[in-house]
Amino acid sequence: MSMSAGIEALNVYGGAASLDVRQLCLHRGLDMPRFDNLLMREKTVALPFEDPVTFAVNAAKPLVDALSQEDRRRIEMVVTCTESGIDFGKSLSTYIHHYLGLAGNCRLFEIKQACYSGTAGLQMAVNFILSGTSPGAKALVICTDLSRFALADSAAIQEWAYSEPSSGAGAVAMLVSDTPHVLRIDQGAYGNHGFEVMDTCRPGPDTEAGDADLSLMAYLDCCERAFKDYARRVDGADFRDTFAYLSFHTPFGGMIKGAHRHLMRKLYKAKPDDIEADFARRLSPSLTFGQRVGNTAGGSVFLGLAGLLESVDLAAPCRVGLFSYGSGCCSEFFSGVVTPDGQQRLRAQGIAAQLDRRHALSLDEYEDMLKGAQVIRFGQKDATIAPDTIPAAWDAYQGQGRLALEGMVGYHRQYRFV
Amino acid sequence: MDRDTILAVIVGQIREVVPELADRPITESESMAELGLDSIERSEIIMNTLEAIGLDLPMVQMHGPKNLGELADLLHAKRHA
Repeated sequence: MSMSAGIEALNVYGGAASLDVRQLCLHRGLDMPRFDNLLMREKTVALPFEDPVTFAVNAAKPLVDALSQEDRRRIEMVVTCTESGIDFGKSLSTYIHHYLGLAGNCRLFEIKQACYSGTAGLQMAVNFILSGTSPGAKALVICTDLSRFALADSAAIQEWAYSEPSSGAGAVAMLVSDTPHVLRIDQGAYGNHGFEVMDTCRPGPDTEAGDADLSLMAYLDCCERAFKDYARRVDGADFRDTFAYLSFHTPFGGMIKGAHRHLMRKLYKAKPDDIEADFARRLSPSLTFGQRVGNTAGGSVFLGLAGLLESVDLAAPCRVGLFSYGSGCCSEFFSGVVTPDGQQRLRAQGIAAQLDRRHALSLDEYEDMLKGAQVIRFGQKDATIAPDTIPAAWDAYQGQGRLALEGMVGYHRQYRFV
Repeated sequence: MDRDTILAVIVGQIREVVPELADRPITESESMAELGLDSIERSEIIMNTLEAIGLDLPMVQMHGPKNLGELADLLHAKRHA
């Protein structure tokens, strides 16, 4: 039997504070007559002492701590997948590698392709394992993204309006190896679709721009064509029958519902009742965590995988179909096998309990944060962070060994476990 | 199929996706956003319209029209391309 590869362990970190999205929409005066159809509830908001490094380390540390010294030394690659980079040259992986205390014989780098980055990173790691060039090696793939925009500027507020309710923050850490307890990747079973399109982008460090219609259209086209490319490679693949469950990149729940409907009509001319039932059964479990943290960009498809493992009844191994899309754009449909054992391992991370412990921001606290006075900006040289701008959130954060950003000294970010 | 027939198909799809608009007059100078439809509903209406008039095109080719009349023009042109 050939070697297997995939995700050995997975953890999600959803930050220190959350915001009720319905309240935000009402506050912004957004006219959303059928808000419930958009399937949004809460989103994570990054506080000043949090950045992509703290999110990543807080997600990965429990996985690394659970390894023996010997296994820890076998982590030979740390891939950070993000569109929230903090430097043009130095990768986030260097900071993460340091604070996780990993060995020096390790490839450290960062990759970007909007929300597709996590899948690019996972496939790179899986293929490193499958190549057999370093038998027994492990790779750490960490998706970490947060939205933090300079909303003191009214033009930026307007640019951001279309995605403010859905933009979240979060990190997903995945230990990839030849003992894939959580997701065994189906080797060679994947399909891609990509083309140049200006649907959404981050043209500056604290700005995001986009066109909701064009982004949705590109997503729908990619979903259909990436699956068809998958089906071209995989004999007998059938969207309806091959996958017990699905996880799609989720900007917000309503979007994947639209994509699922699009696919079911295109492929099968399915009727609305059948589509609704299929969505509820196979795709809605993946929303478990996404509805609480918002769009986590690179990690969102894996956040969906974690959510479905958290919530479904799994009596036997089954196949999951995953769809990843990143604006600009590139996409991939791929699959793997999950098992009841992997489900127990995922549930043991206590992800839901950790999300429950977030500080629920009031709208006043949120608005104050958006002014960004306490936040380190891209390119800043020196700074000290006052961690207790929202005292209740800081109090709750401490005492659990989580990493916090303290400041900058000569562009060098300073962190401390608190 | 002429352009006004395509416009009628679009309006019919809008009323099917959002039944609240059944009795509201809809003119071709209005956009779907002005009718209060969200992005998911807008894409569903375009997808259903393409299916109804027998066109199979990438959705991104449907981007650009600013109102229902322009959308009908675009679909009409694509159908006769």
